[in-house]
Amino acid sequence: MEFFKNTHFDFAGRKWWFILPSLVFLLAGTASLIIKQGPRYGIEFRGGALMDVLWDGTPPIERIRAAVSERVNGASVLAAHDLSGSNEVLISVQLTSGGDLTSLRQTIREALSSTGATFSIRSFEVIGPEVGADLRRQALLATGGASGGMLLYLGWRFRLRYGVAAVIAMLHDAFITLGLFSLLDQEISLTVVAAFLTLIGYSMNDTIVVFDRIRENLRTGTRESFIDTVNRSINQTLSRTVLTSGLTLITALSLFFFGGPVLRGFSLALVIGIVVGTFSSIFVASPILLAWENTAARWTESRISPQTRGAQ
Amino acid sequence: MNRGLLQRAGFIVALILVSAFVLTRIPLRLGLDLRGGASLILRVKVQGGSIAEQREVVEQTRQILVRRINAYGLSEAPVQPYGSRGNELLVQLPGVNDPGRMRNLLQSRAVLEWYSVEAGPFADRSEAMAQYSGVLPADGKLIATRPVRDGEQTWYLVNNHPVIRGTDLRDARVGAANPQEPVTTFTLTQDAAIRFEQYTRAHINQRSAIVLDDEILSAPVIEDVIRDSGQIRGARTVAEAQDLAIDLKSGALPAAVEVIQEKVVEASLGADSIRHGMQAAVAGVGAVVAAMLIYYRWAGANATLALALNGVLLLAALACFGAVLTLPGIAGVVLTIGMAVDSNVLIFERIREEVRAGKTAVSALASGFSKAFATLVDTHVTTVVSCAFLFFFGTPAVQGFAATLVIGLITNLFTSVCVSRVAFDWELSRQKGRRELSIGLAQ
Repeated sequence: MEFFKNTHFDFAGRKWWFILPSLVFLLAGTASLIIKQGPRYGIEFRGGALMDVLWDGTPPIERIRAAVSERVNGASVLAAHDLSGSNEVLISVQLTSGGDLTSLRQTIREALSSTGATFSIRSFEVIGPEVGADLRRQALLATGGASGGMLLYLGWRFRLRYGVAAVIAMLHDAFITLGLFSLLDQEISLTVVAAFLTLIGYSMNDTIVVFDRIRENLRTGTRESFIDTVNRSINQTLSRTVLTSGLTLITALSLFFFGGPVLRGFSLALVIGIVVGTFSSIFVASPILLAWENTAARWTESRISPQTRGAQ
Repeated sequence: MNRGLLQRAGFIVALILVSAFVLTRIPLRLGLDLRGGASLILRVKVQGGSIAEQREVVEQTRQILVRRINAYGLSEAPVQPYGSRGNELLVQLPGVNDPGRMRNLLQSRAVLEWYSVEAGPFADRSEAMAQYSGVLPADGKLIATRPVRDGEQTWYLVNNHPVIRGTDLRDARVGAANPQEPVTTFTLTQDAAIRFEQYTRAHINQRSAIVLDDEILSAPVIEDVIRDSGQIRGARTVAEAQDLAIDLKSGALPAAVEVIQEKVVEASLGADSIRHGMQAAVAGVGAVVAAMLIYYRWAGANATLALALNGVLLLAALACFGAVLTLPGIAGVVLTIGMAVDSNVLIFERIREEVRAGKTAVSALASGFSKAFATLVDTHVTTVVSCAFLFFFGTPAVQGFAATLVIGLITNLFTSVCVSRVAFDWELSRQKGRRELSIGLAQ
């Protein structure tokens, strides 16, 4: 079976067709992030309590919400949503600074008992506010460090401009995913951060395969323009790109549907990231590389041409 | 069939046998999020001193905590340094569902001192001060009793120099008294016993105070001469008396500790997570294998073989390194499957291109593999680079994920390049006459 055989799509020439939807998503994400004042961080990053409660029968969501906000001083119930299909409720409570961590479990348990339904606490986590701040710093360091490290590696293996184009495409993916998480009102938990770092690697992967082919085609030294080389390379790798993305998407989707509630955020980030990452390796990274190459060519030309003209 | 091919095939089979052997001998350890238990992060409140001294205090604290946990009866509960500040410890308690008692056991400093009482009891601090017209005797200090349920306390003036301290204890255990009034009994070292005997002989019918962590547990009147053993009352429950015995026996902490993070997972939730993870893996792998077989025909079977071996090698490597499989770790395994497929697709597409360009099966195979290899190295190294940062800056959960992914990338590079190559060569070596690859190309 063959899906793509000697395709000749003009990706580079029609770049605006593809950059436009990308810009729309970026703007929508940015707007959502500004309106909602930043991403919705999980309790791990803010300090508070997070618990998974299994109810005997349908959980009385409204009563739970009321009981907890009434009993726990200086705390607000952030989310008490039913996980589809099960009678489990995830309750996250944010603590104002200086809250008492030790008695929190008992207080929440009492609040839940007051709703009259039977339940069992399946997991319980308390995070001090300082730990949360530490985690935020760690996540930023990891993302920054990973980007820098990959930029250096690609700069060394290819040329600096390839590294820059790949890193911009990667940031584009991370930002669009972040924006979509904000639009969909999803929480950024610690596992979601892990997913972000995975999709960063994945986006890089895709871009590198295309860039590798561009480099290889440049080495064979046919007399075609750079834009043709880019187009040819994308077309040559198109079959692999689509197939791999499709297969990886299947694994991410199976995680999303069968992985259980704990991995839901993680797999959602992956699903979005794989789609956006595939898109950007073709429609974002290559145009940036082209634009850089063109600007560099024009710049050299404008410096050299007066002398060559003078010589003629 | 040539010898090189046989050697390579033999090497792969040997590797599989070793992996299978490893997996049967060393079982994979499960993390607390999969088998249930509690984990606490403690901060040791070190004050002053050089960095080396502070580190020493944290290490001493760690050892005492380990002793306490072992004395409590939990053997496989590691206490590890945690975080980048150097003053945090991660305590993992498998199978513990309500860490309230463990928290108290670990948090109490357990500094025990036995003082002689000079005056008291007083209803509050100001009453005591009033009696001495505002100036306490030079060698005395005021200590309050542990508050009872309604918060009531009484105060005593005690001599500044304790008669015995926690370090004078040789052993501590719960006394076999009635459960209404639990006691912790202790025995003293030889030196301390001589000192204590002299003190009690000289102070019969006087009051003394047993102080734990700057609170008076009880203030008994000395009725008789005590030599090398005594009793501590004041515990509210038998469990509390037991914990006090554990704390006293394990030694006092050199610095106070506080719990800054606590996580409890019930075993049933862990079992659910394993089931979900397995379902996701089966569904994902099944769909991928089906797609590969349809799209690539025989070559798809090669890829499936490589995938299966990748899984075995990855698990064996994890078991060898003593890695703990956590939920993010399972996600890492599933993701590795995805990346393993990518490597195979990359190679197969390259071979197809070479075949389309008119090359023979043998040379298409050779150039397809060698050209794809350069790309594979680049993609794998970049992912390893990003995993390295995850490992350095991540929490243990994220570190587990990164480690799994890196090991998976290495086994993946091996299986996709070596194993599927051997499978292809094997296929070709069995054919006679014009050799052809079954890689799903239209004839």
